[in-house]
Amino acid sequence: MRTRGAILLANIITGLALGYTVSNIGFGDYTELNRMFTFQDLRMLLSFAGAVLIIVCAFALLRVRRTPGRIHAGVIPGAVLFGTGWAISGGCPAIPIVQVAGGYLPALVTIVGVAVGIRLCRWANARYFHLDRGSCGL
Amino acid sequence: MSGYWPWWAGAAGLALITVNYALTTERSFGVSSAWDRVLHWRRERRLEQMDEEFTDERALADALAAATAEHFGTGLTAPAVPPAPYGTSRSPLETDVDPTVREDAQVGSPGPAPLVTQAALLVSIFFGGLIAAVTSGRFHLRFDMGPGFRNVVTANPTTMVILLFAGGVLVGFGTRLAGGCSSGHGLNGCGRLRPVSLVATAVFFGTAVAVSFLLWKVI
Repeated sequence: MRTRGAILLANIITGLALGYTVSNIGFGDYTELNRMFTFQDLRMLLSFAGAVLIIVCAFALLRVRRTPGRIHAGVIPGAVLFGTGWAISGGCPAIPIVQVAGGYLPALVTIVGVAVGIRLCRWANARYFHLDRGSCGL
Repeated sequence: MSGYWPWWAGAAGLALITVNYALTTERSFGVSSAWDRVLHWRRERRLEQMDEEFTDERALADALAAATAEHFGTGLTAPAVPPAPYGTSRSPLETDVDPTVREDAQVGSPGPAPLVTQAALLVSIFFGGLIAAVTSGRFHLRFDMGPGFRNVVTANPTTMVILLFAGGVLVGFGTRLAGGCSSGHGLNGCGRLRPVSLVATAVFFGTAVAVSFLLWKVI
Protein backbone atom coordinates (compact mmCIF):
# COMPACT_ATOMS: atom_id res chain seq x y z
CA MET A 1 0.00 0.00 0.00
CA ARG A 2 2.27 2.80 -1.20
CA THR A 3 0.30 5.02 -3.55
CA ARG A 4 -0.36 8.58 -2.52
CA GLY A 5 -4.10 7.93 -2.21
CA ALA A 6 -3.57 4.84 -0.10
CA ILE A 7 -1.20 6.66 2.25
CA LEU A 8 -3.71 9.52 2.49
CA LEU A 9 -6.47 7.05 3.38
CA ALA A 10 -4.24 5.37 5.97
CA ASN A 11 -3.49 8.74 7.57
CA ILE A 12 -7.16 9.68 7.71
CA ILE A 13 -8.10 6.37 9.32
CA THR A 14 -5.16 6.60 11.72
CA GLY A 15 -6.02 10.18 12.66
CA LEU A 16 -9.66 9.36 13.31
CA ALA A 17 -8.78 6.26 15.31
CA LEU A 18 -6.05 8.05 17.26
CA GLY A 19 -8.28 11.00 18.16
CA TYR A 20 -11.12 8.67 19.15
CA THR A 21 -8.89 6.36 21.21
CA VAL A 22 -6.84 9.05 22.94
CA SER A 23 -10.01 10.92 23.89
CA ASN A 24 -11.67 7.79 25.27
CA ILE A 25 -8.57 6.83 27.27
CA GLY A 26 -8.68 10.28 28.89
CA PHE A 27 -5.44 11.88 27.72
CA GLY A 28 -7.34 15.09 26.95
CA ASP A 29 -8.51 15.42 30.56
CA TYR A 30 -5.96 17.33 32.65
CA THR A 31 -7.24 15.72 35.88
CA GLU A 32 -6.64 12.22 34.51
CA LEU A 33 -3.25 13.21 33.13
CA ASN A 34 -2.05 14.64 36.44
CA ARG A 35 -3.31 11.54 38.26
CA MET A 36 -1.25 9.42 35.86
CA PHE A 37 1.94 11.46 36.27
CA THR A 38 1.61 11.46 40.07
CA PHE A 39 0.80 7.72 40.14
CA GLN A 40 -2.56 8.27 41.83
CA ASP A 41 -4.20 6.27 39.03
CA LEU A 42 -2.23 3.80 36.91
CA ARG A 43 -4.96 3.22 34.31
CA MET A 44 -3.57 5.56 31.61
CA LEU A 45 0.02 4.59 32.39
CA LEU A 46 -0.89 0.93 31.90
CA SER A 47 -2.67 1.82 28.65
CA PHE A 48 0.49 3.41 27.28
CA ALA A 49 2.89 0.80 28.61
CA GLY A 50 0.60 -2.03 27.54
CA ALA A 51 0.39 -0.57 24.04
CA VAL A 52 4.18 -0.40 23.78
CA LEU A 53 4.47 -4.01 24.95
CA ILE A 54 1.93 -5.22 22.38
CA ILE A 55 3.64 -3.21 19.62
CA VAL A 56 7.07 -4.65 20.50
CA CYS A 57 5.67 -8.20 20.30
CA ALA A 58 3.71 -7.49 17.10
CA PHE A 59 6.66 -5.86 15.32
CA ALA A 60 8.91 -8.75 16.35
CA LEU A 61 6.42 -11.36 15.13
CA LEU A 62 5.72 -9.52 11.88
CA ARG A 63 9.41 -8.74 11.36
CA VAL A 64 8.71 -5.05 10.85
CA ARG A 65 11.76 -3.14 9.70
CA ARG A 66 13.73 -1.63 12.61
CA THR A 67 15.05 1.81 11.74
CA PRO A 68 18.28 2.83 13.42
CA GLY A 69 18.42 5.99 15.47
CA ARG A 70 21.22 8.11 16.81
CA ILE A 71 21.14 9.70 20.27
CA HIS A 72 22.19 13.22 19.30
CA ALA A 73 22.83 16.20 21.56
CA GLY A 74 19.25 17.47 21.30
CA VAL A 75 17.47 14.34 22.54
CA ILE A 76 17.77 14.76 26.30
CA PRO A 77 17.34 18.58 26.49
CA GLY A 78 14.43 18.32 24.06
CA ALA A 79 12.80 15.54 26.07
CA VAL A 80 13.19 17.57 29.30
CA LEU A 81 11.50 20.59 27.69
CA PHE A 82 8.75 18.40 26.26
CA GLY A 83 8.09 16.67 29.59
CA THR A 84 7.90 20.02 31.38
CA GLY A 85 5.50 21.46 28.81
CA TRP A 86 3.35 18.31 28.84
CA ALA A 87 2.99 18.41 32.63
CA ILE A 88 2.11 22.13 32.64
CA SER A 89 -0.23 22.38 29.67
CA GLY A 90 -1.54 18.82 29.60
CA GLY A 91 -0.79 18.53 25.91
CA CYS A 92 1.63 16.59 23.78
CA PRO A 93 1.31 17.62 20.11
CA ALA A 94 -1.86 15.55 19.48
CA ILE A 95 -3.63 16.20 22.78
CA PRO A 96 -4.51 19.90 22.38
CA ILE A 97 -6.34 18.98 19.17
CA VAL A 98 -8.33 16.38 21.08
CA GLN A 99 -8.96 18.86 23.90
CA VAL A 100 -10.38 21.46 21.49
CA ALA A 101 -12.51 18.73 19.91
CA GLY A 102 -13.83 17.93 23.39
CA GLY A 103 -14.84 21.56 23.97
CA TYR A 104 -11.81 22.84 25.93
CA LEU A 105 -11.45 26.11 24.03
CA PRO A 106 -8.34 27.37 25.94
CA ALA A 107 -6.44 24.48 24.37
CA LEU A 108 -6.40 26.63 21.21
CA VAL A 109 -3.77 28.68 23.05
CA THR A 110 -1.74 25.49 23.59
CA ILE A 111 -1.95 24.76 19.85
CA VAL A 112 -0.66 28.25 19.05
CA GLY A 113 2.15 27.68 21.57
CA VAL A 114 3.06 24.33 19.98
CA ALA A 115 3.16 25.96 16.53
CA VAL A 116 5.38 28.78 17.81
CA GLY A 117 7.68 26.29 19.56
CA ILE A 118 8.06 24.13 16.45
CA ARG A 119 8.88 27.11 14.24
CA LEU A 120 11.23 28.46 16.90
CA CYS A 121 13.06 25.13 17.10
CA ARG A 122 13.66 24.99 13.35
CA TRP A 123 14.88 28.58 13.37
CA ALA A 124 17.13 28.04 16.41
CA ASN A 125 18.49 24.82 14.96
CA ALA A 126 19.36 26.46 11.67
CA ARG A 127 20.99 29.42 13.40
CA TYR A 128 22.64 27.95 16.49
CA PHE A 129 22.36 24.19 17.10
CA HIS A 130 22.97 22.69 13.66
CA LEU A 131 21.66 19.33 14.83
CA ASP A 132 20.52 16.58 12.51
CA ARG A 133 17.63 15.73 14.77
CA GLY A 134 16.05 12.67 13.23
CA SER A 135 12.33 12.20 13.19
CA CYS A 136 9.64 10.07 14.63
CA GLY A 137 7.55 10.54 11.53
CA LEU A 138 9.45 8.44 9.02
CA MET B 1 -14.70 7.82 37.54
CA SER B 2 -15.73 9.33 34.23
CA GLY B 3 -16.49 6.56 31.76
CA TYR B 4 -13.05 6.33 30.23
CA TRP B 5 -11.86 3.06 28.72
CA PRO B 6 -10.19 0.44 30.95
CA TRP B 7 -6.42 0.22 30.55
CA TRP B 8 -6.45 -2.93 28.43
CA ALA B 9 -8.86 -1.42 25.89
CA GLY B 10 -6.69 1.69 25.61
CA ALA B 11 -3.55 -0.43 25.19
CA ALA B 12 -5.17 -2.57 22.51
CA GLY B 13 -6.49 0.51 20.67
CA LEU B 14 -3.16 2.36 20.61
CA ALA B 15 -1.28 -0.79 19.60
CA LEU B 16 -3.74 -1.60 16.80
CA ILE B 17 -3.44 1.93 15.37
CA THR B 18 0.37 1.85 15.44
CA VAL B 19 0.79 -1.65 14.01
CA ASN B 20 -1.85 -1.08 11.32
CA TYR B 21 -0.16 2.14 10.18
CA ALA B 22 3.25 0.47 10.01
CA LEU B 23 1.91 -2.45 7.99
CA THR B 24 -0.18 -0.44 5.53
CA THR B 25 2.24 2.40 4.85
CA GLU B 26 5.61 0.86 5.77
CA ARG B 27 6.24 4.03 7.77
CA SER B 28 5.88 5.31 11.33
CA PHE B 29 3.60 8.16 12.22
CA GLY B 30 4.55 11.05 14.44
CA VAL B 31 2.27 13.91 15.33
CA SER B 32 5.03 16.42 16.10
CA SER B 33 6.67 15.60 12.79
CA ALA B 34 3.33 16.12 11.02
CA TRP B 35 2.95 19.49 12.74
CA ASP B 36 6.48 20.46 11.75
CA ARG B 37 5.99 19.62 8.11
CA VAL B 38 2.56 21.26 7.87
CA LEU B 39 3.80 24.45 9.55
CA HIS B 40 6.69 24.62 7.07
CA TRP B 41 4.54 23.61 4.13
CA ARG B 42 6.11 25.96 1.59
CA ARG B 43 9.58 24.50 2.04
CA GLU B 44 8.23 20.93 2.28
CA ARG B 45 6.20 21.40 -0.91
CA ARG B 46 9.25 22.70 -2.72
CA LEU B 47 11.27 19.67 -1.58
CA GLU B 48 8.52 17.33 -2.72
CA GLN B 49 8.48 18.95 -6.16
CA MET B 50 12.26 18.57 -6.40
CA ASP B 51 11.97 14.91 -5.43
CA GLU B 52 9.32 14.38 -8.11
CA GLU B 53 11.52 16.00 -10.76
CA PHE B 54 14.44 13.85 -9.69
CA THR B 55 12.26 10.74 -9.91
CA ASP B 56 11.26 11.73 -13.46
CA GLU B 57 14.89 12.27 -14.45
CA ARG B 58 15.85 8.90 -13.02
CA ALA B 59 13.06 7.19 -14.95
CA LEU B 60 14.25 8.91 -18.15
CA ALA B 61 17.84 7.84 -17.51
CA ASP B 62 16.73 4.24 -16.90
CA ALA B 63 14.77 4.24 -20.17
CA LEU B 64 17.76 5.65 -22.10
CA ALA B 65 20.05 3.05 -20.54
CA ALA B 66 17.66 0.27 -21.53
CA ALA B 67 17.38 1.59 -25.10
CA THR B 68 21.17 1.90 -25.36
CA ALA B 69 21.64 -1.65 -24.14
CA GLU B 70 19.06 -2.91 -26.63
CA HIS B 71 20.67 -1.07 -29.56
CA PHE B 72 24.34 -1.65 -28.84
CA GLY B 73 24.16 -4.76 -26.71
CA THR B 74 24.75 -5.21 -23.04
CA GLY B 75 28.54 -4.72 -23.29
CA LEU B 76 28.00 -1.01 -23.03
CA THR B 77 26.83 0.33 -19.79
CA ALA B 78 25.17 3.63 -19.23
CA PRO B 79 24.79 5.22 -15.87
CA ALA B 80 21.42 4.13 -14.59
CA VAL B 81 21.09 6.87 -12.06
CA PRO B 82 22.17 10.45 -12.71
CA PRO B 83 23.66 12.47 -9.95
CA ALA B 84 21.18 14.34 -7.84
CA PRO B 85 20.43 17.75 -9.28
CA TYR B 86 21.95 20.62 -7.37
CA GLY B 87 19.87 21.54 -4.39
CA THR B 88 17.70 18.45 -4.20
CA SER B 89 19.47 16.84 -1.30
CA ARG B 90 18.00 17.96 1.99
CA SER B 91 20.50 19.50 4.35
CA PRO B 92 20.44 18.57 8.02
CA LEU B 93 18.69 21.83 8.73
CA GLU B 94 15.92 21.19 6.25
CA THR B 95 15.08 17.61 6.94
CA ASP B 96 14.09 15.43 9.81
CA VAL B 97 16.00 12.40 8.59
CA ASP B 98 19.14 11.66 10.51
CA PRO B 99 22.12 10.20 8.64
CA THR B 100 21.56 6.68 9.89
CA VAL B 101 17.98 6.70 8.71
CA ARG B 102 19.05 8.16 5.40
CA GLU B 103 21.49 5.31 4.90
CA ASP B 104 18.70 2.92 5.65
CA ALA B 105 16.45 4.73 3.19
CA GLN B 106 18.89 3.96 0.42
CA VAL B 107 18.25 0.26 0.77
CA GLY B 108 14.57 0.38 0.09
CA SER B 109 12.71 2.19 2.83
CA PRO B 110 10.07 4.68 1.73
CA GLY B 111 10.64 8.40 2.07
CA PRO B 112 8.57 10.82 4.11
CA ALA B 113 4.81 10.59 3.73
CA PRO B 114 3.39 13.20 1.32
CA LEU B 115 2.70 16.56 2.94
CA VAL B 116 -1.04 16.45 2.33
CA THR B 117 -1.31 13.17 4.23
CA GLN B 118 0.30 14.81 7.27
CA ALA B 119 -2.26 17.62 7.19
CA ALA B 120 -4.99 14.99 6.87
CA LEU B 121 -3.63 13.19 9.94
CA LEU B 122 -3.93 16.33 12.08
CA VAL B 123 -7.43 17.20 10.83
CA SER B 124 -8.57 13.60 11.34
CA ILE B 125 -7.34 13.61 14.94
CA PHE B 126 -9.69 16.54 15.57
CA PHE B 127 -12.69 14.72 14.07
CA GLY B 128 -11.82 11.48 15.89
CA GLY B 129 -11.70 13.39 19.17
CA LEU B 130 -14.95 15.18 18.34
CA ILE B 131 -16.75 11.89 17.59
CA ALA B 132 -15.47 10.41 20.86
CA ALA B 133 -16.49 13.45 22.92
CA VAL B 134 -19.97 13.68 21.39
CA THR B 135 -20.80 9.97 21.47
CA SER B 136 -19.59 9.60 25.07
CA GLY B 137 -21.51 12.67 26.24
CA ARG B 138 -18.33 14.44 27.39
CA PHE B 139 -18.56 17.30 24.90
CA HIS B 140 -19.05 20.66 26.64
CA LEU B 141 -17.88 24.00 25.30
CA ARG B 142 -15.93 25.61 28.11
CA PHE B 143 -13.48 28.41 28.69
CA ASP B 144 -11.38 26.63 31.31
CA MET B 145 -9.29 23.44 31.33
CA GLY B 146 -11.37 21.63 33.93
CA PRO B 147 -11.19 21.10 37.69
CA GLY B 148 -7.81 19.36 37.60
CA PHE B 149 -6.06 22.29 35.96
CA ARG B 150 -7.90 24.73 38.24
CA ASN B 151 -6.88 22.88 41.40
CA VAL B 152 -3.35 21.83 40.48
CA VAL B 153 -2.08 24.64 38.25
CA THR B 154 -4.13 27.82 38.43
CA ALA B 155 -7.68 29.14 38.60
CA ASN B 156 -6.74 32.56 37.24
CA PRO B 157 -7.80 32.86 33.56
CA THR B 158 -4.91 35.15 32.58
CA THR B 159 -2.32 32.93 34.25
CA MET B 160 -3.97 29.92 32.61
CA VAL B 161 -3.57 31.44 29.13
CA ILE B 162 0.06 32.34 29.82
CA LEU B 163 0.88 28.86 31.16
CA LEU B 164 -0.90 27.08 28.31
CA PHE B 165 1.01 29.14 25.77
CA ALA B 166 4.33 28.62 27.57
CA GLY B 167 3.62 24.90 27.94
CA GLY B 168 2.75 24.68 24.26
CA VAL B 169 5.98 26.39 23.26
CA LEU B 170 7.97 23.95 25.43
CA VAL B 171 6.12 21.01 23.88
CA GLY B 172 6.64 22.23 20.32
CA PHE B 173 10.29 23.17 20.81
CA GLY B 174 11.11 20.11 22.90
CA THR B 175 9.52 17.52 20.65
CA ARG B 176 11.29 18.83 17.57
CA LEU B 177 14.61 19.14 19.38
CA ALA B 178 14.26 15.59 20.69
CA GLY B 179 13.15 14.37 17.25
CA GLY B 180 9.78 12.98 18.35
CA CYS B 181 6.88 12.99 20.75
CA SER B 182 4.78 10.47 22.64
CA SER B 183 3.44 8.94 19.43
CA GLY B 184 6.68 8.95 17.42
CA HIS B 185 9.21 8.12 20.12
CA GLY B 186 6.76 6.65 22.64
CA LEU B 187 4.70 4.26 20.53
CA ASN B 188 6.50 3.83 17.20
CA GLY B 189 10.09 4.22 18.42
CA CYS B 190 9.81 2.23 21.65
CA GLY B 191 7.78 -0.37 19.75
CA ARG B 192 10.81 -0.80 17.49
CA LEU B 193 13.15 -0.75 20.52
CA ARG B 194 15.12 2.17 19.09
CA PRO B 195 17.63 3.29 21.74
CA VAL B 196 17.05 6.97 20.97
CA SER B 197 13.30 6.56 21.49
CA LEU B 198 13.74 4.57 24.71
CA VAL B 199 16.01 7.30 26.11
CA ALA B 200 13.76 10.16 24.94
CA THR B 201 10.60 8.50 26.32
CA ALA B 202 12.22 7.77 29.69
CA VAL B 203 13.43 11.38 29.96
CA PHE B 204 10.23 13.15 28.89
CA PHE B 205 8.08 10.87 31.00
CA GLY B 206 10.37 11.19 34.02
CA THR B 207 10.42 14.98 33.66
CA ALA B 208 6.63 15.12 33.38
CA VAL B 209 6.36 13.02 36.57
CA ALA B 210 8.75 15.33 38.45
CA VAL B 211 7.02 18.52 37.28
CA SER B 212 3.57 17.08 38.03
CA PHE B 213 4.64 16.22 41.58
CA LEU B 214 6.01 19.74 41.97
CA LEU B 215 2.72 21.23 40.78
CA TRP B 216 0.69 18.88 42.98
CA LYS B 217 2.67 18.93 46.23
CA VAL B 218 4.80 22.07 46.19
CA ILE B 219 3.39 24.84 44.01
